[in-house]
Amino acid sequence: MKKPLFTQIEGGKGFYSLLVLLGAFILAALGSVYYMEHNGHWVTGMNNQIVWGMPHVFAIFLIVAASGALNVASIGSVFGKKMYKPLAPLSGLLAIALLVGGLMVLVLDLGRPDRLLVAMTHYNFKSIFAWNIILYNGFLAIVAVYLWTMMEKRMNRYTTVAGFAAFFWRLILTTGTGSIFGFLVAREAYNAALLAPMFVIMSFAFGLAFFMLVLFAIYKWSGRPLGDGVVQRLKNLLGVFIGAVLYFVLVYHLTNLYITERHGVEAFILRDGGIYTTLFWVGQIVIGSLLPLVLFYHPTLGKNRNLIGFGALLVILGGLAQLYVLLIGGQAYPLEIFSGYEVLHGFNEGMINSYTPTGWEISLGLGGVAFALALVAVAIKVLRFMPQSLADDAVDVHH
Amino acid sequence: MKPINKLLLLVSAVLALTLSVPAAAGDSDSSIKPVIPKALSGTKCVDDPEVMVRTHMDKLKHQRDLTLREGIRTKQFSLKECINCHVPAGQEAAVQPGEETAASGKSSEGHFCMNCHAFAGVKIDCFECHNTRPEKPAMFHPIVTPGMEATKDVHQPDSATMLNELAGSNEKTGAAQ
Amino acid sequence: MSENNHAGVTRRDFLELGLKSAAAGVVLAPGVMLYSAAEARPADEPASSKVRWGMLIDTSKCASGCDACVTACEKENGWGGPNSNEKHSNALQKSQWIRKVELRNVDTGATSSLPMMCQHCANPPCVDVCPTGASMKRADGIVLVDRHICIGCRYCMMACPYKARSFVHEELENQSVNAPRGKGCVEACTFCVHKLDRGDGTTACAEACNADGHKAILVGDLKDPNSEIAQTVAKYATTQIRAELGLNTGMRYQGI
Repeated sequence: MKKPLFTQIEGGKGFYSLLVLLGAFILAALGSVYYMEHNGHWVTGMNNQIVWGMPHVFAIFLIVAASGALNVASIGSVFGKKMYKPLAPLSGLLAIALLVGGLMVLVLDLGRPDRLLVAMTHYNFKSIFAWNIILYNGFLAIVAVYLWTMMEKRMNRYTTVAGFAAFFWRLILTTGTGSIFGFLVAREAYNAALLAPMFVIMSFAFGLAFFMLVLFAIYKWSGRPLGDGVVQRLKNLLGVFIGAVLYFVLVYHLTNLYITERHGVEAFILRDGGIYTTLFWVGQIVIGSLLPLVLFYHPTLGKNRNLIGFGALLVILGGLAQLYVLLIGGQAYPLEIFSGYEVLHGFNEGMINSYTPTGWEISLGLGGVAFALALVAVAIKVLRFMPQSLADDAVDVHH
Repeated sequence: MKPINKLLLLVSAVLALTLSVPAAAGDSDSSIKPVIPKALSGTKCVDDPEVMVRTHMDKLKHQRDLTLREGIRTKQFSLKECINCHVPAGQEAAVQPGEETAASGKSSEGHFCMNCHAFAGVKIDCFECHNTRPEKPAMFHPIVTPGMEATKDVHQPDSATMLNELAGSNEKTGAAQ
Repeated sequence: MSENNHAGVTRRDFLELGLKSAAAGVVLAPGVMLYSAAEARPADEPASSKVRWGMLIDTSKCASGCDACVTACEKENGWGGPNSNEKHSNALQKSQWIRKVELRNVDTGATSSLPMMCQHCANPPCVDVCPTGASMKRADGIVLVDRHICIGCRYCMMACPYKARSFVHEELENQSVNAPRGKGCVEACTFCVHKLDRGDGTTACAEACNADGHKAILVGDLKDPNSEIAQTVAKYATTQIRAELGLNTGMRYQGI
């Protein structure tokens, strides 16, 4: 088993066309941001009832996926699985790119993005949001160092230490992201300790799905060999993660169904919520979880690489649906302010809040994804992230 | 001459020409200074204009935390008082946020703060929240209760003055022995 | 008795001075302050935790269909109303610092009416979650947004159990001098802090309710045993909304 050779990918017409396409999405996002920031948020679908909307769904998704994308590298460095080691540089790169994309969307949606410097210098350490800002920046630094230990020959002996540091940091980071919602006492759909570990498991699934799609695309479009050994192992791992996410979702809803106080919000999400119910059952459960599991574990379908890639895409779409239900559905369900009373008249008291995302917000979210992918594309052309071959004879498939 | 020396000579010549224009124009530099509308007559500024130009931003930044976070509402560096003097009610200049030009509203002189800041190219965001004009009681307090009316211009001295006032009045009436 | 026409103050004078200053609120010595909320605090004195501003709302006196408190707040603080300076925002995006709510008890059918605004909690979740510390609680219990450092992330709005906060969705002009407010920042009821600081001792909503004759809103210092509000809450049962959250709100309600 010779050591893998890392090389830059070749450019070419396809590569530049991809950059132009991604660039178009990025420009559209920047244009949307200018429009939203200049006019104010009245041009969006967000209001005083639904304060976090589509941009936040995309941002949280990208941030969660970023932390999970590092998993592949961690399995190599921390758990010592040899097959994953050649995949580690791309894993670190994707983690950084997805996080930067997610942060870009989050910051550009702020009411006052010109005060970013204020946000980075004034910290309220009781706020999990403030901690997240520190964790995100730290993650970028730690993964950069981790990449350096992998790609600079004389630093290779520090890869394990850096890998451990990155692994623990990203667990804390994702716990912090989940706690953004878990710490909120006010809302019925949040306020659960379970949300933090659930976000960690979601990160495993979304991050790996993203990684697989990017890996397949790079190897297909650059004409390099990618063996079934790698593909099958990654596919099986993703299947396990999807199952784990389903378990957490089950426990979350079972617990809420047991608590009488939460019956309202459960009925809303699971039965009466219209778009949210549809997105939960069809989007999150069927498309995001059950269908990929069928595709992955079917004896013949599971061997088809295109279907595996399609399954990974379904996981991503299901993940977006899951975050939409959690984020928007959780805000759409009214606050239980006057328990024991029915509201006859008020300002949106006791009413389901409605939200219609505008094109500006969706464009911003998509621009964040495009920015992350563009970062990856440019990086693998300029630096040596990609192993020349991941064919079965070039990697240690069984370890 | 070597090409690089030619280039340097050309650049120096261009710079010399452009930088000498103001001097050549004579003492008409007042035409490029900003128009500064006069403050309320009969009042004295907090400090000398030279000092204020250099330090007003620090004073305002410190005062805003004192006022908002601690409730200390001394008038010396209060933004409200600055506006009361420098944009007196009746001087109809009201530059809206985003319209940082000198001429706006009924007064052709513009707005005291905005004129200088537009000239210096230093964007401020104070007036995204604060009104550019002082309050006009009739417009903003249609419900004027006796309590509000009585305390509208309440004289709020500092604690040292109050103590002295009380000590002084005590001495005048004479403490009953 | 000894003469006291020197600059110093005798013990008797000191005591009389003390009594007088009790009415005016003066610092006698560092940390020693006799304070009465009804008078204006000296301008150079910071707000103190010896005072806790509170509001008692008697829902039995609150008239269904009346919104004098809302109108008064709108005029005092420059938001909302028919001439709202939020010209582009839709009904769900416009600010609402205070709102009237009509309730009916699910079991008994009894109806009540009450105003709902920022509850000025002693343990405010909005202050806990603000990343920059812009959402703050002043020493005397008033919860405010420091719009100088608010970045407009709206996390406090997610955290507030009472839906008390609003986000400004567009550029504003002609703000009230009492309440600077602008695009991209979050805002809420300020307990008319500008009125309290200059000695009015009450808020715009309370004044309007009294002027209308309902007298449902009572404002005062909960820590002053002589204030009407402190005596009332000591004598009669009052509730806090969502009391089980343990936030210790400054707003108390009677009749629900």
